[in-house]
Amino acid sequence: MRRAVFAITALAASTTLLVVFKGGPAATEVAQNRPAGRTGGSGTPAIAGAPPTGPRSGVVPTAGTGASRPAAPRQTGKAPAAPPPARKAPAPPANTPFTVTGPIVTNNFGQIRVRVTMTGSRITNVTAVALPRGTAESSRRSDSVDDRYSGNAGQAVSRQGANLDTVSGATATSDSYRSSLAAAIDAAAAGRRG
Amino acid sequence: MPQRRGSAGRRLIVLGLWLGLVASVLPWWLETPPGSVRGTDAAVLAAGRITGLVAGYLLLLQVLLMSRLPLLERSIGTERLARWHRDLGATVVVAVLAHTALILVGYAALERRSLIDEAGLLLTEYEDMAGAFAAAGIMVALGLLGIRAVRAALPYELWYYLHLSSYAVLLLGFGHQFTHGQQLFRPGPVRAGWLAFYVVVLACLVWGRVVAPLRFNLRHRLRVADVVAESPDVISIYLTGRRLDRLDARGGQFFRWRFLTTGCWWQSHPFSLSAARNGRWLRLTVKVVGAHTADLRDLDPGTRVWAAGPAGTFTAAHRTRQRALLIAGGSGIAPIRALLEELPPGAALIYRARTPADVLLHRELDWLAEARGTDIWYVIGGRDDPGPRQVMSGRGLTQLVPDVARRDVYLCGPPGLIEASTSALRGAGVPRRQIHLATFEL
Repeated sequence: MRRAVFAITALAASTTLLVVFKGGPAATEVAQNRPAGRTGGSGTPAIAGAPPTGPRSGVVPTAGTGASRPAAPRQTGKAPAAPPPARKAPAPPANTPFTVTGPIVTNNFGQIRVRVTMTGSRITNVTAVALPRGTAESSRRSDSVDDRYSGNAGQAVSRQGANLDTVSGATATSDSYRSSLAAAIDAAAAGRRG
Repeated sequence: MPQRRGSAGRRLIVLGLWLGLVASVLPWWLETPPGSVRGTDAAVLAAGRITGLVAGYLLLLQVLLMSRLPLLERSIGTERLARWHRDLGATVVVAVLAHTALILVGYAALERRSLIDEAGLLLTEYEDMAGAFAAAGIMVALGLLGIRAVRAALPYELWYYLHLSSYAVLLLGFGHQFTHGQQLFRPGPVRAGWLAFYVVVLACLVWGRVVAPLRFNLRHRLRVADVVAESPDVISIYLTGRRLDRLDARGGQFFRWRFLTTGCWWQSHPFSLSAARNGRWLRLTVKVVGAHTADLRDLDPGTRVWAAGPAGTFTAAHRTRQRALLIAGGSGIAPIRALLEELPPGAALIYRARTPADVLLHRELDWLAEARGTDIWYVIGGRDDPGPRQVMSGRGLTQLVPDVARRDVYLCGPPGLIEASTSALRGAGVPRRQIHLATFEL
């Protein structure tokens, strides 16, 4: 019995110790999974949101793009209310593919960011740059959303827009995905005009 | 006389088990970047994951300790394995409860739900999670059953079969580790390693519980040869079989015996051999205390016997010194008698019995005393009689055996005698590692 008490105490102590070690003020480059104070996701620089590749990328939505989005999702609140500052790029020639990266949308499970490849005014590919991976379960939900929406044969390409069916069991991630996608599409349109 | 065995094997196994614990938490450590566990919610979730990994490992370890793998039974010993299993049991229950609670709180905070909503969600929406909750429930119930008072109140067989439901814990808790375990859900070396540990433990279980006994019994095919009354309430059962000259059992070890008659086949009981192996027969000496042992009196010659073993570290091979002191109480003389044949000459034996009629095998003992230069003291009387009390005190033992602190002491008897003698011996300066116990209850 004495040994059991000892073992349980040791378990509690070593678990606490491990957690404290990992919470130390070391590197801070990694975002936390837990929701930040605000739910509306403006571009939090924390996530490894790989900057758009290719010479013609870098068109980023300007303020007010959220207006044309589908109805704001319940859980994400007012999604990309304040998108990241625009980096103006020269307007690409027509019919050359270019990519636009949407804003980071934070919901209760993590952060979502979508990149759209446009050829002319057509959406030809969509990839998710960031999806919630905090738990195995949210990772699985993210995968199902990703499978349904993304890719050059995904729903976003086949419907040519952000009006996509909600993936059952992954409502919040679906909503956030659509928000980021809608903002990216709007930005692409603005970029073409500009 | 067997070679001394030493404790290197045991130490190696213990080291391996500790390394296994480290290895099971290591994936979390490597996957979690430093400084990322900030704030209460993240800390709670991290603690939940650590306790989950620890609980998963300890659960498998619990099964491994009870696998009856010959390697473990011979190098660590059944009593010690049972004690570790018991002590770890409480720890596993606490780890599982902590894991459940911490993950529940952590997920609820992460997804901003109430605890009840989150629990409902986990139960209904998460694959394999209902099974995991059921496993945790069974485990808590088993933990309560393990409390000494509860265990004592239940009939042994009922308790044993209830305890077998712990295999259901293994089964029900299996799935959620791989579908939701943060370190295990991705295909990769960690997941493969964790699965491999499951495979290894199951293999040990099958080997120790099925293959090894099957091999032993097919090779030796034991049968009852004769049942002899040693005293009004003690019997000796003689067994014969094939190739007994190659039977690898030491004096002091025991088997779990199953006598294949209509009334007895479903019960398995541990009894020690009461004679060292001689190539022709085996003998066990049993005190009639319950319904099962009473049935054993009526065994017919020719009855088939299923034996699992041998097991135990109560042997001459586990001695640490040249000389030994043996202390037997009542029918605890059985393994001591077998052990005496394999110990170096110069051993001493103290035989405690309540009345002269309770002294068993005394002709054999006298003969062995002469043949192997052993001093034997018969200490007769009740526990509270002044004579036995004086002899069995630390000072009394030192007077009988002046070099007791430099001997191995082998103790076998009822719990009261073992407890009292152990403290007397420790008082007389015998180091703990020189005291070898064979308890009646496993």
